[in-house]
Amino acid sequence: MSEVPEVLNVSGLSVDYVLDRGDVRAVDDVSFTLGRGEFLGIVGESGCGKSTLLFAVAQLLAAPARVAAGSVTFQGTNLVGLTDRQLSAVRWRDMSVVMQSAMNALNPVKSIGAQFADAMRAHDKPSRAEIAARSAEVLRMVGIDPVHLGSYPHQLSGGMRQRSMIAMAMLFTPDLVIMDEPTSALDVVAQRSLMVQIKELQLSYGFAVIFVTHDMSLISHFSDRLMVMYAGQVDEFGPTRTVFDRPLHPYTQGLLEAFPSIRGPRVPLKGIPGSPPDLAALPAGCRFHPRCPYAVDRCAQVEPELYELDDALVRCLRRQDGSLPVPASQEGSLSR
Amino acid sequence: MSATELLRVEHLTRHFKIGGVLSRRTLHAVDDVSFGIGEREIVALAGESGSGKSTIARVLARIYAPTSGEIYFEGKPVSAIRSRRDRLRYSGLMPMVFQDPFGSINPVYRVEHGMLRSLKLHRPALSAGQRREEAERVFEVVGLGADMLQRFPYELSGGQRQRVGFAQALAMRPRLILADEPVSMLDVSIRIGLLNLMAELRDAQGVSVLYITHDIASARYVADRLIVMYAGQIAEAGPIEEVLAHPKHPYTQLLLSAVPDPRAPLSVAAETDRGEPPKVIDPTPGCRFRWRCPLAIDVCAQVTPVLAELAPDHQAACHVAQADAAASASAQKVEQ
Repeated sequence: MSEVPEVLNVSGLSVDYVLDRGDVRAVDDVSFTLGRGEFLGIVGESGCGKSTLLFAVAQLLAAPARVAAGSVTFQGTNLVGLTDRQLSAVRWRDMSVVMQSAMNALNPVKSIGAQFADAMRAHDKPSRAEIAARSAEVLRMVGIDPVHLGSYPHQLSGGMRQRSMIAMAMLFTPDLVIMDEPTSALDVVAQRSLMVQIKELQLSYGFAVIFVTHDMSLISHFSDRLMVMYAGQVDEFGPTRTVFDRPLHPYTQGLLEAFPSIRGPRVPLKGIPGSPPDLAALPAGCRFHPRCPYAVDRCAQVEPELYELDDALVRCLRRQDGSLPVPASQEGSLSR
Repeated sequence: MSATELLRVEHLTRHFKIGGVLSRRTLHAVDDVSFGIGEREIVALAGESGSGKSTIARVLARIYAPTSGEIYFEGKPVSAIRSRRDRLRYSGLMPMVFQDPFGSINPVYRVEHGMLRSLKLHRPALSAGQRREEAERVFEVVGLGADMLQRFPYELSGGQRQRVGFAQALAMRPRLILADEPVSMLDVSIRIGLLNLMAELRDAQGVSVLYITHDIASARYVADRLIVMYAGQIAEAGPIEEVLAHPKHPYTQLLLSAVPDPRAPLSVAAETDRGEPPKVIDPTPGCRFRWRCPLAIDVCAQVTPVLAELAPDHQAACHVAQADAAASASAQKVEQ
């Protein structure tokens, strides 16, 4: 991955929510780089900090959240600490964001075309003809007939609204598109076709994607690398196939085993007992140890770091010291 | 099956009037739906949003009156229910668990408040002490400690709240629980626990469940039978393993191909479906899936297909599948 020029370098990023009862660290020391045209998936449960991390990368955090440490270097410029004016040169032109609910992200009283024009005028001085041409072009790119530029959001289905949000993110052919659960409001068929669409666009226009979701199975076939977050930290990070075929962290294993399959024999599943910790009252030692089936005394005392194991990173003491042997890769045979 | 059938729905139809006085139109939310639920049986009702699955649950719960058709519960027609006592008895035997565990528990009272009130209403014979004992009993059954009764809803996690929902339903000694997407708002690691709970309630308490979901994989995990809805009608129904192994209706096939499955081999190039389920307003005869259907023939645009048995206990409403089944049946006859 190192030969590919870097689009984004996140280093030691921490985000705090400044509250009356003390600061709560929602994102704790997250580092990663993203190459040109790379698709990074970030998964985790609600409250694990994945959306906060995205907002920090896009510099969209609002009080009481603030970046407590670290840097976000996008195409050589550290975005942390830039003013809104400086950021607006980067936003949407080079980096765009697709939010979770297009229903709320689109303006209900303006037509799709008018909203596209707004976005273009906010970052450039295009002529009317340029706006019309580009708007029609991006809508066609996502498979929507350009007549819908005159449509209002309520006239479109959920899938088409989400597609037009993606079209809007493509207006300036950005280098990085950040997506926060863009498919979670859709049903399976629409979800599947949107994922394929995103992947096609990404392959033909070469932008990098950070894709956040709680549904691990959704991105298994689409992302290059996968980051698993738990309680604000990275628990596991590696090539997507490696993580799926040979999950190292007990939490990742638990997540994978929590998905029933529509193929193969029906096997009883256990899920993960308990629930994610309150970020204001984290357990000592490993943050996952109260729910971990492999936890030993040491896990409650020593806070694990992110250890390198083969081509992946994992935050687990027992994998690191070898007392929990690295499982053999079950390549493609997870069907059990 | 028919000997121990608990619930029988015959030709259930629910229409909604929309538009003003001059543009009066009719939305066909549910059209001519018939199915049964046996004792100790979990039936999954699956379909895209807008397919009418929640409307069916609401008609069963008597929130909406059916436009036409009849529901038989324990062999007796539900429309004959007149007295308040019978109505309470019916809703106690068939309680509903809602999708949103955050909106369905009153946040200003302790959890026991709702429990004890519904017990007082539906089981007036119990004394105050017995009501408390009963509340503690059902909390144990759903895997919550009795001390949880004293908590406020905000102190509970999403999974615990949904267990409270099932406990409330269970306290009425139900025969059938209507569960409308009970796990879709829960985190992956917690979902399995709730699905296991539903299976336990069936196996240990003898309760049947109508499990409404858009997640086929979770349906397969718990359900005995599957009903696939499309645009207000049943597309296919049968024993769940049989339907998933041999889907007859092209919509079921599309739905199954869209389910993300990390264990399946990579198939990014799978054909994408860009169609949308239709809004069924003043429909004309014909199959409602024909615009998206790869197999559609002339007759599909003229005649509405009805459910026909294509394999033992396995029905589909599709002209093409029915013709295929007839052809292979006559071929077998010739061979004999």
